[in-house]
Amino acid sequence: MSPEPEWLQPRSLAEALDLKAERGEEATVVAGGTFVGILMNQGLLAPTALLSLARVPRLDGIEANGDLRLGALVTHRAVELSLVVRERWPALARSFSVVASPRVRNQATVGGVLADADYASDPPAMLTALGAVAVVRSSRGERSIPIDELIVGHYETTLAFDELIVEVRVPGGGHRAAYRKFRSRSHEDRPCVAVAVCRRGDDLRVVVGAVADRPQLFPELCDPHATPGEIGLAYADAIEPLSDIRGSAEYRRRVIAVEVRRALEEIAG
Amino acid sequence: MSDPRVTGAVRYAQDVELPDMLEARIVRSPYPHAGIARVDASALPDGVVVLLPDDVRGLGVYGPQIQDATVLALDVARYAGDPVAAVAARTAREAEQAASLIEIDYEELPAVFDPVEAAGDDAPRVHEIAEVSENEAAYFDLRPQPGTNVCHRFRVRQGDPEAAFEECDVVVEETYRTAGAQHVHMEPHASAARWDGDRLEVWTGTQTPYNLRSDLARIFLMDPERIRIVCPPMGGAFGAKTFVRLEGIAAALARKAGRPVKCVLERAEEWQTLNRHPSVIRVRLGAKADGTLVAARFRCWADTGAYADCGPGVAQKMGFAAAGPYRIPHVWVDADCVYTNLPPNGAFRGYGQMQSTWARELALDLLADRLGIDPVELRLKNVLHDGDRYCTGEEMHDCHYEACLRAAARAVDWDDARRGKGVALLLKGMQTPSRAEIAVEAEDDGTYTVRCATAEMGQGAWRTISLLAAEELGVDVGQIRYAVPDTDIGPYDTRTTSSRSTYVMARALREAVRDLRANGRRGHGMIEIPGGLDPDTGQGVASHHWHQGAAAAEVRVDEETGKVEVVRLHAAIYAGRVVNRPGAELQNEGSMIMGLGTALYEEIDVADGQVTNANLSDYEIPAFADMPERLTHDLIEREGADIHGLGETALPPVPAAIGNALASLRLHVTELPLAPEAVLCAVDVREGVRA
Amino acid sequence: MRLTLDVNGTRREIEARTDEMLMDVLRRELGLLSVRETCGIGVCGACTVLVDGAPISGCLMLAAAAEGREVVTVEGLGGDDPVQRAFVEAHAFQCGYCTPGMILAAKGLLAEIQSPSEAEIRESLSGNLCRCGCYVKIADAVRRAAP
Repeated sequence: MSPEPEWLQPRSLAEALDLKAERGEEATVVAGGTFVGILMNQGLLAPTALLSLARVPRLDGIEANGDLRLGALVTHRAVELSLVVRERWPALARSFSVVASPRVRNQATVGGVLADADYASDPPAMLTALGAVAVVRSSRGERSIPIDELIVGHYETTLAFDELIVEVRVPGGGHRAAYRKFRSRSHEDRPCVAVAVCRRGDDLRVVVGAVADRPQLFPELCDPHATPGEIGLAYADAIEPLSDIRGSAEYRRRVIAVEVRRALEEIAG
Repeated sequence: MSDPRVTGAVRYAQDVELPDMLEARIVRSPYPHAGIARVDASALPDGVVVLLPDDVRGLGVYGPQIQDATVLALDVARYAGDPVAAVAARTAREAEQAASLIEIDYEELPAVFDPVEAAGDDAPRVHEIAEVSENEAAYFDLRPQPGTNVCHRFRVRQGDPEAAFEECDVVVEETYRTAGAQHVHMEPHASAARWDGDRLEVWTGTQTPYNLRSDLARIFLMDPERIRIVCPPMGGAFGAKTFVRLEGIAAALARKAGRPVKCVLERAEEWQTLNRHPSVIRVRLGAKADGTLVAARFRCWADTGAYADCGPGVAQKMGFAAAGPYRIPHVWVDADCVYTNLPPNGAFRGYGQMQSTWARELALDLLADRLGIDPVELRLKNVLHDGDRYCTGEEMHDCHYEACLRAAARAVDWDDARRGKGVALLLKGMQTPSRAEIAVEAEDDGTYTVRCATAEMGQGAWRTISLLAAEELGVDVGQIRYAVPDTDIGPYDTRTTSSRSTYVMARALREAVRDLRANGRRGHGMIEIPGGLDPDTGQGVASHHWHQGAAAAEVRVDEETGKVEVVRLHAAIYAGRVVNRPGAELQNEGSMIMGLGTALYEEIDVADGQVTNANLSDYEIPAFADMPERLTHDLIEREGADIHGLGETALPPVPAAIGNALASLRLHVTELPLAPEAVLCAVDVREGVRA
Repeated sequence: MRLTLDVNGTRREIEARTDEMLMDVLRRELGLLSVRETCGIGVCGACTVLVDGAPISGCLMLAAAAEGREVVTVEGLGGDDPVQRAFVEAHAFQCGYCTPGMILAAKGLLAEIQSPSEAEIRESLSGNLCRCGCYVKIADAVRRAAP
């Protein structure tokens, strides 16, 4: 019988960072634990050590003075139900609210969904469109990484082996944003195409999720004076979508054009 | 809180615990077709029990209708997932880890994954010989085609359609396809086996205790009377928990280990165990200008996977029900049950009749469109009434198809507007022939014990039969105890499939209570349902009585994405007499929802013989939020009528009603499921931007 | 490792591997067989338990992560729970396998929204699959259980 993993439960961020630096990839970080749980149940992951962040204090706060600051251990459910997020960043609250089921949202965290970098997850695309950054710490110091620079590939981030996400910051200020999730099958399905848009004055960001290895953002195509339809077609042309049981690449392109247009129409009104 | 379902007190087969029990895991071929050159378990630790091909080589070959299966694959693996070895250990985790140490050398062989291709002369052969089984599950004459992958060929020969097509004013022809599907019963397959000297005891989730016992006897070269099958309630089955599944492996391991062995499948293994037959059905329909149906020709290929299981029966039912509840003087059907190198396909709620209903009902609407006749009117003009003959030559009685159709059409306000609406009408057979027995025992405390082999899988049979017994005995249902089916104690029943149980047990109960009243302590009743068809002509009695129903759907289509929303869904089902009303409602609702899944979401995705979506994220079944805005149904009863089973009836017409609703928008999709991508293609075709 | 879990109102000391999920520990160590596996990936809800009152997938929460938190299964609901009663009155089950998880999901919903609308019921319970297709009657049960 294989030996059980070592259970590490640091009681402070400093201790957690030290452990992370010491063990690196050998320690599997457990925040909410949903993604890790799925991988372990499927036999895809057999950790030698589990690094639980459950006892690390002060990572589960939501603050909104100007910018929005979400602690890495804030659950999806907390974001979904937060009055201040719903009032001032409604599309963000929505993007968290459509993830999976209430059970998953009760467990999964803001930091976890970014660190997992699952290409079909909803929050990363919306956070990218909102211009959010991940605040990342190691025992060497702290840095901020824009979300579109954090997630760089299929379940792949630019986090160093000794780094942990501690917070996500979303710019405040006036903006119009929308999140659309298109499922080609059951309401419970992973999305076939997802679109997050945000306009701040003349700055427009359009992000398409669930169609490629990472959220798709093409700043050069986000012309605030182009029509929604034009941007939709441009995105459909620029993206090389994946093909799977939810839709072929060709079909995804068609839906990208439609859903981008619809998202932009939502915020135009 | 009396109901164990809400307190969590139900104990399913997966919960069975026996003293000293080991848990098993199965090692499966990763290749769809391969010679097995070497199976080496020498690296396994002591303390685990391993079952290798040589351990089971001397055991009997089995199969409910074609004898083509062995406990483990011997020398050849025929599908990706075919069991090649098995391990029992103290825990499933230990068994899994030990199993990973087994070394197996395979030599890949050419494989075939399409039934039409597999039926051809040049296809790789899945089985060299297809020998017909000698047990009671082979209840009709089988027609394996030597030298081919066709393990059963069923034909209907009524009149001369080819000549008759010449006389028709309109003829339509189309080919339809349905994807494979998984039952996704919430409780996985689970079986536990124990030897007591030379007696074998099996606790298993099964709908077919006596068929199972019969095949286990064949496997272990035993007298079936020395095998005991106990049937705990199942967490769903829908046809998947039939005949031999895990029981052979569990029993063989238990014998080798000298200890009881339980095997519970992991979810991914369910797609490698038993699925629903994919089908290809070519339809040709001809009618007069006034809508009178004249001729029909059906060519069906049912993909039965690598082992026949009850595929021949499925193909036969697919075939004899293909013509539907209509008067058609000239009907020819050819239905082939074909081997491929895919996981086996078997009983699945609807039993071949979802597939043929899909093809026929869509073809009927094509015909209606060509004729310029309303689809409901076309059906009403040709629908079977009492005294009409069906294409099998049998005289139909107790016909309520018209009532079902009218109720369904009315439920979607068919007369107000037709756009976005579709109907479908179903004729479905009940297992014929069959035999059912039941025993009723009077206890000292004034209660009664009912013993029969009807299994409980959520369809409410135990409750319904208890209500029937209470009715016959003139007591409160609280006085009735339904004994867990046990072949050592209770009497024979053909099996719990085909929506037959409440009908046959109701009749057997009348005999049993009469017998009890005559002799005081124990009454026994039996009913034999006669019938059967000549497989070469399809003539005879296909079904003792017929299951009848209609569905109507109203849809909204997002024509930019192809996404279909079912706004209204209604099923009108003939019930005869309803005994357990909540149970009957639940069966209708559940069948309709499963039909919705078949229509819109469910398909087993295969690449090079591998199932690629063997999990509940990549294979989607209907969830709460997928429900139509309005889902309604009728249970049509008639004074003095017999009970009509309805465990499946509301499933098959649902996909066809939705397909016809799309057709009313001039969106023609011929394959199930109706993926948005396919619907979008249909939009393009209609708009002339695609051929 | 040795774990102390608060399950159905009682502190229980159990042995579990560090990589074991709460569902397996509840079943094996405490005989709480209402917590069931169907999918193993958190999408079906058959393993739903309440952790500090919130519905959680028992198959995705490490047992060790449940230490110090209150875990509730249907065995702990006591004899007269209104949601259990409502399910019985509404006949909101067939095979019963998904029912414990469905009941706990409904309790989670009703703890948050006293009188949920049809849309809120559908949305909230959509993560609990019922292959027998009892959704119509389950919605009825939830409406009955709401004040």
